[in-house]
Amino acid sequence: MAPLPLSAQRKQQKQRRASLAPYLWILPAILVYGIFKLGPLIGGIYLALLRWDGIEEPRFIGLRNFDKILNDKLTLMVLGNNVEYAVITVVGKIVLSLFLAIMLNQALRGRTFYRTGLFMPVVMSFVVIGILWRWLFNTEFGLINNLLENLGLGFLALDWLGDTNIALKSLTLVDIWKWYGFHMVIFLAGLQSIPDELYEAARIDGASVWQQFLHVTLPMLQPVMIVNVTISVMGAFNVFDIPYVMTEGGPANSTNVMALHIFLRGFKFYRFGFSAALSYVLLTIVTLVAALQLWLMTRVDNTE
Amino acid sequence: MASGGTLNAKRESGGIHWRPYLVKLFNHGTLLLFTLVIIYPVFWMVLASFKTSGEFLNNVWGLPSVLDIDNYHRAWELANLGRALINSLIISLGTVLFVIALSSIAGYAFAKFRFRFSAAILLVLIFTMQAPTPVIPFYVLFVRLGLTDSYIGLILGIASGSLPLSIFIFQAFFRSIPNELREAAKIDGCSEFSAFLRVVMPISGPAVATVAILTFVGAWNEYFLPLLLVRSPEIRPLTLAVQVFFFQYGRVEWTDVFAALSIASIPMIALYVFMQRWFIQGLTSGSIKG
Repeated sequence: MAPLPLSAQRKQQKQRRASLAPYLWILPAILVYGIFKLGPLIGGIYLALLRWDGIEEPRFIGLRNFDKILNDKLTLMVLGNNVEYAVITVVGKIVLSLFLAIMLNQALRGRTFYRTGLFMPVVMSFVVIGILWRWLFNTEFGLINNLLENLGLGFLALDWLGDTNIALKSLTLVDIWKWYGFHMVIFLAGLQSIPDELYEAARIDGASVWQQFLHVTLPMLQPVMIVNVTISVMGAFNVFDIPYVMTEGGPANSTNVMALHIFLRGFKFYRFGFSAALSYVLLTIVTLVAALQLWLMTRVDNTE
Repeated sequence: MASGGTLNAKRESGGIHWRPYLVKLFNHGTLLLFTLVIIYPVFWMVLASFKTSGEFLNNVWGLPSVLDIDNYHRAWELANLGRALINSLIISLGTVLFVIALSSIAGYAFAKFRFRFSAAILLVLIFTMQAPTPVIPFYVLFVRLGLTDSYIGLILGIASGSLPLSIFIFQAFFRSIPNELREAAKIDGCSEFSAFLRVVMPISGPAVATVAILTFVGAWNEYFLPLLLVRSPEIRPLTLAVQVFFFQYGRVEWTDVFAALSIASIPMIALYVFMQRWFIQGLTSGSIKG
């Protein structure tokens, strides 16, 4: 290589010196994120290897906590609850919000009103929503059973939060209630980006409304579908506020989910090491589920 | 279908005529139903907060006969809602300012400078953002640093969660700003940082608003971190204060509870209704662009 002219050399030197600057710009944010998010995420692995009640001297016990988790019936049950919770909320949110988005995409009048109303719970706290719904679900005075009885459907009036077979499903209703407007807005943005020509072409080819939905709408919605499914899957495996505020995991652990289980093991039963180990089990599960779901959904895209 | 010649078209014309109206009716009916399912319980909560206890239990559906402000007085005293309101404001506004300062600077670097590992760092941020933080290690860290029971601890905790998305929003916005602008400022004698502060930030209103709304709503409604980190009532935000009623001895006065819930949620709902376009755009921005 020919030697660089002096001016260019100097310029390069200057650039190299300047190239430290960008790190200074990102340093404050990276420092805060590194200490308070990545710190516990990475450094906390050590705590998972301890037997510790948070007060006495911790004792190093290796992988025994993980061994216990694998043989713990309660953890298995909680995991089952969480999977059920995830399936119901994800399917419920996606189907309902897509359905409403398609309607809203056609109803021109009142669009702002519907959108504003449907999106409203997103700005409300889960604590407020949880307490409100605890009352709506009240067996004697609650709005829901009251409504059912007034409609002559008294046989449908259930013990929404007190029955071990129903409580978890009642909680999923609240979760779906909070988020269906949110997912609908995202679907709506996707629907509005589909060019009309595609539908015209499909119509000329004689496609029915249902066929247009299957072969034009759904494939074109692939990107927003991935976003919506990812958000709701992640939400379901991180859910804490609703079960904690509404049932505290009861009755008989029927609404206990992973995040709540981790919290209760730690701060109600003071098994810090065990709780920390549970966190890493949850982290592994969430990572695997997210990877699997992304892999499945992008594969569908490739075969299209 | 309708292409079957004039004869067919005429025969079907009766049906074709009113079918769009039926579809429209069905659309509006369904949308209205699902909107009412959302709005009515909230409306009912506010109604109930004005009823007397007796009226609340006997007259579930009706309007309150008189607007009973006593519930608000009692709730305000019992849960110390004035203090909680101020705490929530301090925590939320503090978090917003902190996040905007840190993420705008970082986002600018990611958008405008070329440096080693910049793509890798962004990827790490995005991928770890959604990972559930291990609770016990997080708690132990805050205890060790003496950050429990303090505004600063809460702000740092909430901010660390919302930094990645905010950085992402800012860097996407800054990429759309032409480089000529910053070059011109630098020729005029501005340093890189003062060009950013005096020329770029003043025209970055949309990105600032988006991040501000996203962070403010999240911090205002945050429940888990205060539950984990706050012990003393002086620091308690609204989300914890509204639960006080259930930890008291004796019967829970639900009308008081609803008064407290209304105080905790109506300001945000009102703000949302007035600025709904901004709120919806802000709260979905991470999802629609990403």
